[in-house]
Amino acid sequence: MYKLFFSKIITNSLFFSSGICLLLQFVGCVKDIDFDQINDVELAPVFDVNFVYAKFDTDVFHQNSTVFVPEVVVKDTMSYDLLGIDFAVKHLEKVELTFEFENTIERDFEFDFGFLNSEGERVGPTYTMIAKQGNGRSTVPVTTIKQITMSGGVIDEVEFATKLVSSLRIHNVTGSLQGVFQLRSKGSYYINYKL
Amino acid sequence: MFLWFSHIWFVVRWSVSQILSLTICLILFKSIGYSQNKETLYDFTDIPQSLMLNPGAEVRYKYHIGIPFLSQISISAGMRGASLYDVFADDDEESDINNKIENTLNKLTNNDYLSITQQVELVNFGWRSKKNNQVYFSGGAYQELDAIGYFPKDFAALAYQGNQDLVNQVFRFSSIAGSVELLAVYHFGYTKKVNKKIILGARAKLYSSMFHVRSAKNKGFFTTQEIPNRNNIYQHIISNADITIRTSGYRALRDIEERGADRTDEGVDQLIGRGLLGGNLGLGVDLGGTFKIDPHLSITGSINDLGVIFYTKDVETYRLRGNYVFEGFDTPIQFSGEAPQNFLDELEEATSIDVEDNSYLVMRPLKLNGSFRYSFNKYKVDSCECYIKGEQPPFLDAFGAQLFMKFRPKRPQYAMSLFYYKRFFSFLRTKLTYTFDDYSYYNLGFVVSTHINKINFYISANNLIDYGNLAKARGISVQLGFNVIM
Repeated sequence: MYKLFFSKIITNSLFFSSGICLLLQFVGCVKDIDFDQINDVELAPVFDVNFVYAKFDTDVFHQNSTVFVPEVVVKDTMSYDLLGIDFAVKHLEKVELTFEFENTIERDFEFDFGFLNSEGERVGPTYTMIAKQGNGRSTVPVTTIKQITMSGGVIDEVEFATKLVSSLRIHNVTGSLQGVFQLRSKGSYYINYKL
Repeated sequence: MFLWFSHIWFVVRWSVSQILSLTICLILFKSIGYSQNKETLYDFTDIPQSLMLNPGAEVRYKYHIGIPFLSQISISAGMRGASLYDVFADDDEESDINNKIENTLNKLTNNDYLSITQQVELVNFGWRSKKNNQVYFSGGAYQELDAIGYFPKDFAALAYQGNQDLVNQVFRFSSIAGSVELLAVYHFGYTKKVNKKIILGARAKLYSSMFHVRSAKNKGFFTTQEIPNRNNIYQHIISNADITIRTSGYRALRDIEERGADRTDEGVDQLIGRGLLGGNLGLGVDLGGTFKIDPHLSITGSINDLGVIFYTKDVETYRLRGNYVFEGFDTPIQFSGEAPQNFLDELEEATSIDVEDNSYLVMRPLKLNGSFRYSFNKYKVDSCECYIKGEQPPFLDAFGAQLFMKFRPKRPQYAMSLFYYKRFFSFLRTKLTYTFDDYSYYNLGFVVSTHINKINFYISANNLIDYGNLAKARGISVQLGFNVIM
C-alpha cells in the first residue's frame, strides 16, 4: 500500500519536474544578448596623485650675506613605492608626471630626480629640468611647466623602486638674491585593465 | 605615493569585485528577481507553505507533509536600476560595451542594488491537534541564502574613470553596503482559530548561521580637491573614515582554502556541521493573523523573522578608521626644517585596518506582509472534498491587495500587489498577481497548485511578461514544491 503511495509521489514528482523544466526552457529565454562582449570590457581609469612639492624663500636662508657661493645643491631621499600594488604593476600603461615651477628668484633652478631600489642602486633614468629664473621679489612669478611620460620599459625598470632621490641646484648664489621658488607636481597614472 | 592610494584602491577593488561577483551570480541564474516577496504564495492557503509566510493563515486540512528537499525550492533575485540587457544588448556594434557600462553607471544610484534569496525546505510537516480541532501545529527546517549588495556608485565611478575627471567630487564610504548570509532555520508553529472571525498564529525559529558577511552604516569620504595656493596641486583627503566589514564563518573557510585546493570537502563538511546547530545560533519568531470581517471580506497580516543571530564563533571584523591628508612629498626636506617625512608610517598609523574578533549580533531582515481579500462564488456544501466537515466550504474566486516590506541594510524594500484567486474544478487552484515594486511596475505573477490524490504540486513565478526575454527583466522569482495534504 505505502509502496504504491510513494511510487505515485515519485512518478508525479518526476512528471511535474520534467514538465516544469521543459516549460521554463521554452517559455523563459534570454535573447538579444551577447555575453561575449565581456571580452571587450576595458577599464581605463586615470588617477591623479600628488608628487613632490617644494618651497624655497630666500628670507628663510640668508640675511643679506655678502658671501658668494658658486653652487648650492640640496639633495633628498624619500620612501617611494611607485608600483606598490601588483595590480598597478600589471596594468599600468603609462605615468605622466607634470611639474609646475613658479620662480621670482633671479636664478635658474635645476631640479633632478631618479629612483633607487631596495639595495640603494639607481634604477631607471634620471630626469633633469630647468626652472626659469624670475624677476625678483614682488614680481609676477615666472612659470615653467614640464611634463615627463614614463611608459613601457621605463615602468618595468622602476617597478622595484623603493626610494626617490631628488636634488635642487642653484648657481651663483649671493646675498642680494630675493624671492620665492615653488615647485608643485602630480602624477597621472593611466591604468588599462581588460577583463 | 601609490601605496597610499592602495587604501582607496582596496575599497575600489572591493566595490568592483562585489559588482562583478553579483553580476556573475545573476548571469548564472540567467535571470534576476526578488527580495523574498512571495506575493503569489502569501495568503494562498491551499498549500501549507502559506503558513511560512503567515502563521495565522487559514488551514483547511488535517495534516500535511512536504516531500523532503522538494516541498519548496525557491529562488528569487532582483536588480534595481538596470538589467542585463542594458549592458549586454546585442545591438550589432551600435554601441561599444564600454559605453553601455558607462551609461548604466551614470543611470544607477547608490540606492540601487542586487538581491538574491534562495531557499530549500528540508522538511515541512503539520497536523491538526487531536485535543483541539481549532489548533494546527506545523514545523520543519529550511536552508536559506540571502544576499544583497548595494551599488557603490561613488567607488564604481572611481574605479571605472579614476579621479582625474572627478576632482573635487566626494566619494562617500556610506555607499558601500551589503550582506550575505547562509543559514539553516528550524521552526515550529502554532495556528489557532480563535473564533469564526479570528485566526492567530506564531512560529518560533532557531537560526543556525553557516556564513555571514555584512558591511553597513559606513561613514566618511575620500576626495581629491584642487585648492589654489596650497603646497601642491591637490589635497587627497580621507575624512572621518569608518568602514566595517563583519564576517562570521569566513576565517575557517579561508584557512581551509589556504591549506590546499583539494580541501573542498572539508569546507562543505564544516558548513553542513554549522547548519546542524553547530553554527552561530539565533532566535526569532513569526507572528500573524487573519481577521474575517464578514464571510466574504478578510484581512491578514504577518511579521516574519523578528529575531536576532548572535555571532560568537569564527568571527572576524575588519575595520578601517582614520583621517589623512596627502599633499605629496615635501622635498628637499631640508627646506622645511622638519624631520624627514616617514610617509608610509604616517599613513598606516592614520588609516590602519584593524582585525578584531569581537562577538556581534545582527537582527534578521524583518519582513512584513499584509492583505485584504474579498471572496465570492462559494462551493456548494458537500460538492467537493476540499474542506473539513463541519466547516464552511471555500470560495471559488477572490480578489484583493497585498503589501510587503522587507528591512535591508540601507532602507526597506516595498512591494504592493493586486491579485485574483481562482479555483478550477476541485484539483486546480491558481492566483494571478500584479505587483509594483522597486524593480518593475508591470510585474505579473502566477501560481498553479494541483491537488490530485492528496498529492499537491505547486509552481509559482513572477515577472511573466519578461519571460519572453529574461535579459530585460529586473526581477524574477520562482517557487515550486510537492506536498502531501490530507
